[in-house]
Amino acid sequence: MSTRVGQKQAARMVRDQIAREKRRSRTLWTTIIAIAAVVIAGMIGWGIYASQDSGTYVAPAGATADGSGISVGSGTVKIEVYEDFICPACGQFETQTGATLDQLVEDGKVTIVYHPVAYLDRASTTDYSTRASAASGAAAEGGKFREYAKALFAKQPAEGSAGLSDNELIEIGRSIGLGDAFAQAVRDGKYKSWTSHVTDEASEAGVTGTPTVKVNGKDVQPTTQAILAAVG
Amino acid sequence: MNVTALSSPVSTPSVSKWQMVRPWLGTLARLGLAAVWLVAGGTKVGDLAASGRAVNAYDVMPYDIAKVVGAALPFVEIALGLLLLAGVATRVAAGISTALLVVFIAGIASAWARGLQIDCGCFGSGGQLAAGQSPTYGPEIARDLGFLVLAGFLLIYPLTRWSVDSWMERE
Repeated sequence: MSTRVGQKQAARMVRDQIAREKRRSRTLWTTIIAIAAVVIAGMIGWGIYASQDSGTYVAPAGATADGSGISVGSGTVKIEVYEDFICPACGQFETQTGATLDQLVEDGKVTIVYHPVAYLDRASTTDYSTRASAASGAAAEGGKFREYAKALFAKQPAEGSAGLSDNELIEIGRSIGLGDAFAQAVRDGKYKSWTSHVTDEASEAGVTGTPTVKVNGKDVQPTTQAILAAVG
Repeated sequence: MNVTALSSPVSTPSVSKWQMVRPWLGTLARLGLAAVWLVAGGTKVGDLAASGRAVNAYDVMPYDIAKVVGAALPFVEIALGLLLLAGVATRVAAGISTALLVVFIAGIASAWARGLQIDCGCFGSGGQLAAGQSPTYGPEIARDLGFLVLAGFLLIYPLTRWSVDSWMERE
């Protein structure tokens, strides 16, 4: 009788052994598959980003040599202004300090490089930051970057809205004397790749928010007082 | 993987109640953490360049590496969310979640310690805060610690109800 019981026990032990083995290899495989899924997902993300980033761009007239912004004026002191057309603080900065900056340019004291970055595409439902920046590039090509930028800030749309439509962007351009070439460039999104380049260069330079102002390479509070003090 | 063996062999009523409730608590933790990852990834996936800038704002790695991390991260988060939602390899997903959350908490703490004025970029946005806005590092860390508790629970007790894992276990 003991042999019978013994055989049964042995059979059960073998069955348990096989079940354990099966479970172990199943756990191993799901682990491998799960880790592979996470790694592949990350690689897909990088692949998509790399394919979006073509790297080629057409810089408009008036752009700096590295294409990172539009240069205005010819003074010795160099001011850099990083703005996003939908950023409310940038709108306030333009209202409070824009005239002072224009005066400094007129007096021949400073050269200002404006970097119309598109950091806040998520703040509108239509990528307004990119469209507005690209339109400002088209305005620069037409020789009216500053006039156009001021007109855009004067009609700044609220964050979370759809922003101004392409037609409205064209209309604002016409109101300051920009013609058909400008309208066509806005419709074609001709300077959108330049906008990505401007945005990327700004990040590369360590600019993480807007408005950012630098005077001769040093960060300065975006206020009239601070800028005047730094310019000297 | 036989988690029941961990509990006390003495079968008091409270232990058996815990054993009954635990897999369901695990399901709540799993689905909760899945939702966190899916929302976190979903809000970032539409603008990968912005995600890279949010990583860059922490100023802990060169911009070129921040771009890679920023582009990969939303997809990794979504993959983790899907694994947890289905309950596939829950322990592995919980382990990676724990590691990621520890890195996030360290990043926020370091930004806090260095006095950076940034948004954590945990659920979209990110980057420098506008003038007049103050950072909310404390609540951001507290929130991540809460998520860490969920991940830790699943790391210890990965077998939960309504999961592929437990379905395969029964097969």
